[in-house]
Amino acid sequence: MSTGDGIDWVAWLSGASALAAAGILVTHLVRRPRLDAENKTNTKLWLLLGLGVFPITSAGTANITGFKETQSRRFCGSCHVMEPHRDDSNNPNSTSLAAIHARNDAFGSENCYSCHKDYGMYGYVMTKWGGMGHVYWYLTKYHSMPLEESNHDIRINRPLPNANCMHCHTTTGPRWLSVSDHASSLEAVRAGTMSCASPGCHGYAHPVTKIGKELDAGAGP
Amino acid sequence: MKKLFAKIWGITNEQLIRAACVLGLVALPLMVASVVLPNVWTVLIALSVGQAIGTLSFLLYLIAVARDLEIVRRLRGARKSD
Repeated sequence: MSTGDGIDWVAWLSGASALAAAGILVTHLVRRPRLDAENKTNTKLWLLLGLGVFPITSAGTANITGFKETQSRRFCGSCHVMEPHRDDSNNPNSTSLAAIHARNDAFGSENCYSCHKDYGMYGYVMTKWGGMGHVYWYLTKYHSMPLEESNHDIRINRPLPNANCMHCHTTTGPRWLSVSDHASSLEAVRAGTMSCASPGCHGYAHPVTKIGKELDAGAGP
Repeated sequence: MKKLFAKIWGITNEQLIRAACVLGLVALPLMVASVVLPNVWTVLIALSVGQAIGTLSFLLYLIAVARDLEIVRRLRGARKSD
């Protein structure tokens, strides 16, 4: 129940509100009290609780839990084409960028979301909007695609901007700047013309899926 | 169209409330399913179908209350007296 490792109070509140509402509605359907009777105000108040207050509380808290769940790696990996990415992050022996970040508490079970989300004022909304696009493509195009084919063909819609990496790795710290490759490519990294997650630098974030287009491109005439 | 409207208008408040209760009972598990079994489909269904049915259920209740309180007639009466 709920996200992550435990059952949080929001999830409990959602379930309790739904149960309370269901109790009121079932009671009304069974007893069928007349609405034009003397106690009709009482009946309407009970119905206000059963059809309004409790369901709205339940829906609101379920939304919070649902939206929190959409940030988890488990959620991202629930589409089969994302299984290799998820499994790589779950692998304690993997040395990919994604797996290294997943082992960091700051990213943990939400490492997909932490790296791929849009930052900024409307970042959350824009990320969810983009996610709906992924769901649409999955339903219409990739739902039945074999894993070998999806690994070969599916790639990120837009390259991950360096700004997402720079949210944590600011490129201003003395330790970061003391690395000669960082210092020599500073402008290109900040301008986004050289990707941090490229073969010449830190490697692909998800090398396990780079078995398709990239190799094909390298095997040209 | 007029016939359909008249038919809908002919539905009693009791029937409206019973329909609202049934719709509410359908919507509640759909909305809470995403808490119990969180995955893409339950979250999507909770946020779309579940909430749409839940909203419809609450709207039916509000229509029944508005009809019971004769809000439309009172508003018309207030306009005439202006």
